[in-house]
Amino acid sequence: MSAGVVDHGTMRLALLTLVSATVLAVAIAVATAIGDYTIGLGTVSLAITNGLGLSDADLPPIEESVVWDLRLSRALVAALAGAGLALCGAILQALLRNPLAEPFVLGISAGASTGAVCVIVLGIGAGSLTLSAGAFAGAFAAFGVVAVLSNGATSGPNHTILAGVAASQLFNALTSYIVTTSGNAEQARNVMFWLLGSFGGVRWPDFQLLLVIVPLGLALCIYMARALDAFTFGDEDAAALGVPVGRIRLALFAVTAVMTATIVSMVGAIGFVGLVVPHAARFVVGPMHMRLLPACAIIGAIFMVTADIVSRVIVAQQTVPIGVVTALVGVPFFAIILYRARPQA
Amino acid sequence: MSHKLIMAIAIAASTSLGSAAQAQTDYPLTIENCGQSVTFDAPPQNAVALGQNSAEIMLMLGLEDRMAATAFWPNTVLPELAEANAEVELLSVEFPSLESVLAVQPDFVAAMLVTLMGPDSKVAKREDFESLGIPTYLSPSACSVTEVSTDIYGARSELWTMDQLYKEISDLARIFDVTDRGETVIADLKAREAALRGRFEDRDDLTFLFWFSSPSSEDDAYLAGGNGPSTYIAELLGGSNAVKAASEWPTLGWEGIMATDPTVIVAAQVDRKRWSLDEAENKIAFLKSDPIVSQMEAVQKGRIVVMPGAATNASIQTLYGAEEVAKQLEALDLAE
Repeated sequence: MSAGVVDHGTMRLALLTLVSATVLAVAIAVATAIGDYTIGLGTVSLAITNGLGLSDADLPPIEESVVWDLRLSRALVAALAGAGLALCGAILQALLRNPLAEPFVLGISAGASTGAVCVIVLGIGAGSLTLSAGAFAGAFAAFGVVAVLSNGATSGPNHTILAGVAASQLFNALTSYIVTTSGNAEQARNVMFWLLGSFGGVRWPDFQLLLVIVPLGLALCIYMARALDAFTFGDEDAAALGVPVGRIRLALFAVTAVMTATIVSMVGAIGFVGLVVPHAARFVVGPMHMRLLPACAIIGAIFMVTADIVSRVIVAQQTVPIGVVTALVGVPFFAIILYRARPQA
Repeated sequence: MSHKLIMAIAIAASTSLGSAAQAQTDYPLTIENCGQSVTFDAPPQNAVALGQNSAEIMLMLGLEDRMAATAFWPNTVLPELAEANAEVELLSVEFPSLESVLAVQPDFVAAMLVTLMGPDSKVAKREDFESLGIPTYLSPSACSVTEVSTDIYGARSELWTMDQLYKEISDLARIFDVTDRGETVIADLKAREAALRGRFEDRDDLTFLFWFSSPSSEDDAYLAGGNGPSTYIAELLGGSNAVKAASEWPTLGWEGIMATDPTVIVAAQVDRKRWSLDEAENKIAFLKSDPIVSQMEAVQKGRIVVMPGAATNASIQTLYGAEEVAKQLEALDLAE
């Protein structure tokens, strides 16, 4: 990254942005066009223009609803969830200077799972507390445990990641305990389905919530991009550069916790995206966060929409948990990137 | 022509009989179901049954030609319904996708569990269908815990009884305008239930242990307890559940199981192929061969009976399971 290639780099970045935006649009279009219910492309496009208020075609209500309410809302939620989880991974990897950091490792997903399972199996707060609220509470409980275990947010990165591992173990154990002591076999199966994640239950209100949370999270993180760059050199160097280390770290942890908790409570604990997408993005745009964070968001979105298409079509008339697909699709994809990046590394 | 003539005569005959005339459903029909009002403008012609019990009730009502599809079958279909069931499309024995349900153009969807159609379901929510003008029905057994059920099966505050099932059959019969058929089915089940109850005196010294399955013989066993259908079976047969836990599906280690000292062990035959101990014969082999467990009095005296696993779920199969157990109890000379 020498100074002489700045112009070339800017060109390349513009091209990358255009290409990735196009790929995302195509992925969403494909997700909207295919499914168990066979609908002609003409109807699909008319259903979308109807939904946007651009046309007023008379379509069969079921077909219009499948395209607009089920597929499009689902694809857009997948895109935002993928973007958000990838973003969280990138933030945590920078804050903790650990390439393995992601919401999973820090136990936030595990906490969300425990919260959700409490509601599913024990029926805690039945009526007033929904599954999503349970997951949200669980995610924040886990965040609190990690904060306490790591002695506040100012201690070293390894300390925090160990605290995260401990919190993960604790919450996974609690989840297992609740499932095995209170659940029957079918219930355990349902819990597992939830733990692996699913976009099956999402509708437009979920999209509206994520449309606030994820872009806001992205904007906040980009605002702190320079501080994140400084963090990668270590806390002391960052402090020497004038970064208020403790405050920024706490703020970024909070942003991550809110984003993860919202996403996990909506679609379940989807692993792999937060871990892998930031690495893929780094191969493409380098380590500087001003570029890395938007790249993570768009690659995460493309990845998740694609994975959801696969989860819907891989077994006819049935949906495979998205967590299974993200790993099955993601690992070979990641292997290719690793392999191709080797000479430069 | 002759078919129409017979139909005409049948209709004329039924309308001439006062009671049968009342049995006809007037549309629009509004039904209260799990805290919601559902309105039907006409009898459904293209229904989807989500879950085995909903499907089996519809098949018992002779509605196979008005069913578009079924999904979610943890067990095999009741033998007497197999032929009718073969005429109906099967979407998936597992959780189906919502699109695949909508693709068969349903005009009615009935579900057995809130996991298949409830507020937190990943498959479908009632609103999904209602916004398209497709009426829905959820099994009263599934929502009997609370109206806003965030609990999937729940610990029931009162003992489950067949009455919830009779309500479900009666509702579905009215919805499809086959009230007479519904009454026949309910009368038959009620007679069988009463016959079972009459066959057994209540006695304090008869306790049942319902063993659903275990991941392995070293693991804790999934038992049936609480106020669920298995406890209902135990009480129908004059006894009680040896497991007193409030949870409908407690798990217990073998030391704890031996402490309950049941009179009879009910080994469930679970048809899925998940664990080897799903099979009743493997359960029995373990009970008889394990050096410690085989010391239980029920095992020593050979008081092990087999029941279909489906009977442990709130369903019409519950009564079939009770009948199976009753037959074997009599063979063991325990029916006094």
